[in-house]
Amino acid sequence: MNSVFNDPGFWHRLQFGFTLVYHYLFPQLTMGLAWFIVYWKWRALRTGDEKYNQAVRFWAKIFGLNFAVGVVTGIPMEFQFGTNWSDFSKYAGGVIGQTLAMEGMFAFFLESAFVGALIWGEKRLGPHGHFAAAIAVALGSWISGYFILVTNAFMQHPVGYQIETNGSLGIASFSAYLLNPWAFVQFAHNQLAAVVTGSFVVAAIGAFYALRGVHSVQAKLYLRAGTFVGLIASLLVAFPTGDQQAKMVGNHQPITLAAMEGKFEGGKMASVALIGQPNVEAQRLDNPIEVPGALSFLAYGHFGSFVHGLNDFPKDQWPDNLELLYYSFHIMITLGSLFILLMGFATLQNWRGKLESSRLLLWVLILAFPYPYIANTLGWMTAELGRQPWLIYGLFHTSDGYSKVVSNGDAIFTLIGFTGLYFVIGLLFLGLTGLEIAKGPGRETNPVVPRREKVLA
Amino acid sequence: MIAAWYAVVSFMLIVYVVLDGRNFGAGMLHWFVAKTPDERRQVIAAIGPLWSWHEVWLVGFGGTLVAIFPRLMASAFAGYYLALFLILWCLILRGVAIEVGGHINDRLWQTYWDFIFVFSNFLLAILFGAAAGNVARGVPLDVQGNFSMAFFTDFNVRGHVGLLDWYTVSIAVLAAVMLAAHGATYLTLKTEGPVHDRSAKLAKYLWIAVVPLLLIVWVESKIVRPDLPGHGALFNPFWWIGLIGIVASAFTLISGLTSGHELRAFLGSSFLIFALLATGAAAIFPVMLHSTLAPENSMTAYAVAAGPMSLHLATIWWPVGFALAVFYFVFISRRYAGKVSVQRDTQGFY
Repeated sequence: MNSVFNDPGFWHRLQFGFTLVYHYLFPQLTMGLAWFIVYWKWRALRTGDEKYNQAVRFWAKIFGLNFAVGVVTGIPMEFQFGTNWSDFSKYAGGVIGQTLAMEGMFAFFLESAFVGALIWGEKRLGPHGHFAAAIAVALGSWISGYFILVTNAFMQHPVGYQIETNGSLGIASFSAYLLNPWAFVQFAHNQLAAVVTGSFVVAAIGAFYALRGVHSVQAKLYLRAGTFVGLIASLLVAFPTGDQQAKMVGNHQPITLAAMEGKFEGGKMASVALIGQPNVEAQRLDNPIEVPGALSFLAYGHFGSFVHGLNDFPKDQWPDNLELLYYSFHIMITLGSLFILLMGFATLQNWRGKLESSRLLLWVLILAFPYPYIANTLGWMTAELGRQPWLIYGLFHTSDGYSKVVSNGDAIFTLIGFTGLYFVIGLLFLGLTGLEIAKGPGRETNPVVPRREKVLA
Repeated sequence: MIAAWYAVVSFMLIVYVVLDGRNFGAGMLHWFVAKTPDERRQVIAAIGPLWSWHEVWLVGFGGTLVAIFPRLMASAFAGYYLALFLILWCLILRGVAIEVGGHINDRLWQTYWDFIFVFSNFLLAILFGAAAGNVARGVPLDVQGNFSMAFFTDFNVRGHVGLLDWYTVSIAVLAAVMLAAHGATYLTLKTEGPVHDRSAKLAKYLWIAVVPLLLIVWVESKIVRPDLPGHGALFNPFWWIGLIGIVASAFTLISGLTSGHELRAFLGSSFLIFALLATGAAAIFPVMLHSTLAPENSMTAYAVAAGPMSLHLATIWWPVGFALAVFYFVFISRRYAGKVSVQRDTQGFY
């Protein structure tokens, strides 16, 4: 049997990775969608146009479904710090526990208290109260993101810590920990990427209605907002946030940068590989098409800057899955560039008033919606694979972090359990979202949603 | 300082149990108090919009536990590995059942999700009860402060114990009956019509059944942990406040049940569970995890706490977060006050 399957660390990583990737499919949409809902509610307040309220009601329902799945899949994430990564929690709990607890107290409480009000409370709260609920939910989801990213940023670039007398980590400077520069860059990059997901989904549903010739007012609203916000967010994800993120990696994790680019030999005028296949055994990039000097410029600001290659570092410090890291990073970049082109073209067509009539483009917009999810996932894979073999960069190895008392069999058992359960949840989620989309945002002839005597619980 | 944090962490878990316990209870009784599909939707509507808000308290507890007592969190969660994942899966299934059951108006579809709902709530009550029993009885902690447990061993309470033995099973039964009684009291408050009448009747029977079970568990606890309550507890004001709280809330509950004051009965029921668990938490302090192998392996709150700086920082932000939570709590309680309607609206919600 291959040795990796006998390594409990492999199973703990696989389970955490799988449950995390799955969980994050939902928050990335809610974080992206939240500000669309706030914007439409604000427009409804300003203009009194009922179409905006209709959009709010429809998207609040989609939001609610995503939120519910996000909650149920999110609770296991927190618990796995103890169940699967107990040695890591023992070592770093005094630091990362702070932000995990703060997420619960400051963000999750806020979001979950008001999400019900956003979805069902329009009548009881009145227009201004409903607007406030939308803002509370949006703030809650973004604050939640910040605390989680501070936690992750500590693992990427530990700051503000000290080693306590018992050998575990404690906090030395709370402000340094909370204001980790890595967290700022990562937060901006990640949140904008969530907005890209949100805008692609908004645009895709608009395109779907436009192609079917139903809900034409709403379709136009979604298409306009989705493509324009999508263009802006896609641009900002690449520059400056993506660029800053890469510089951050270059400055603090040079080995990771070399691995992301498949660069085995270091040097000046380092090139960026547009395509190519990393060949770890031969220690070279096969069949590359490269732009000379580009990596030196992008990472350090000068074409002549020296960029380290993997061979400048001992092999035990290399990320342990170079190929996956390289491809994750490159496919993410490629997708991100395509997003800019697609949304740029769609915005142009919209500006010319031809968006709703160009069926091919509408089809592309519908079919494009899964790709931001893929790009977001690949971005996280780049961050987390690039951090290996460290769990906390430079301080604590991943192989030291998992629960030594949990056997392989237990970890495999729960992984299989999650796989089955999440498959069913995925089916249900898609089915119910499909139902909501089919039901649509209500008839245009009857803009006020049917009277409902809301005595809800 | 450590004692205060022990109180805070216990408080968060207990609040979670009291808040979500009513949902476990109402969920367990779902089939017995609601016979028609519409009645069943009514029970779901009594729980529906708030379950995620209640589950957040579990998240808040988990986060605070990592921050304040990281070493305890690490040993306990890894040791309870399979039991915890069962709890997590049941929580997932429960949430899914609430969300998807009402989305499709089809008899078979709803019957299926009603079954998942009842089943997962029942299992949750049992599992949380067994978990409480495990905390009281202790776990086979070794010298390094690690343990791993099978579901059951020889059903004995000493040495290499399992998750289930005669003591933890009886606490699980007590938990199931008591949370069912709590849920019935809650449904009496929130519903009208036949569901209300059946719940009111069940609440009385179930609370009567709680009394002998509570006595049995008390006697058993004396046998299993003769060292409790320790000498510390007798001088611990919380322990005495807890005892007075138990008596006072029991009277509130009884007077509410007999006089038909539904809100008074529900408050009494909530505070009774709160006071019982708080007294238990005060009784075991300062030991957070007792070792069944050797008492010197036990983990005390002082030994497993995070460094002084981490505790100091948490003292600054935790009260702020908690004040906000109380504010949301008031907002939510006011917004969702009153009974759920029997009529379904056009959106499929009550």
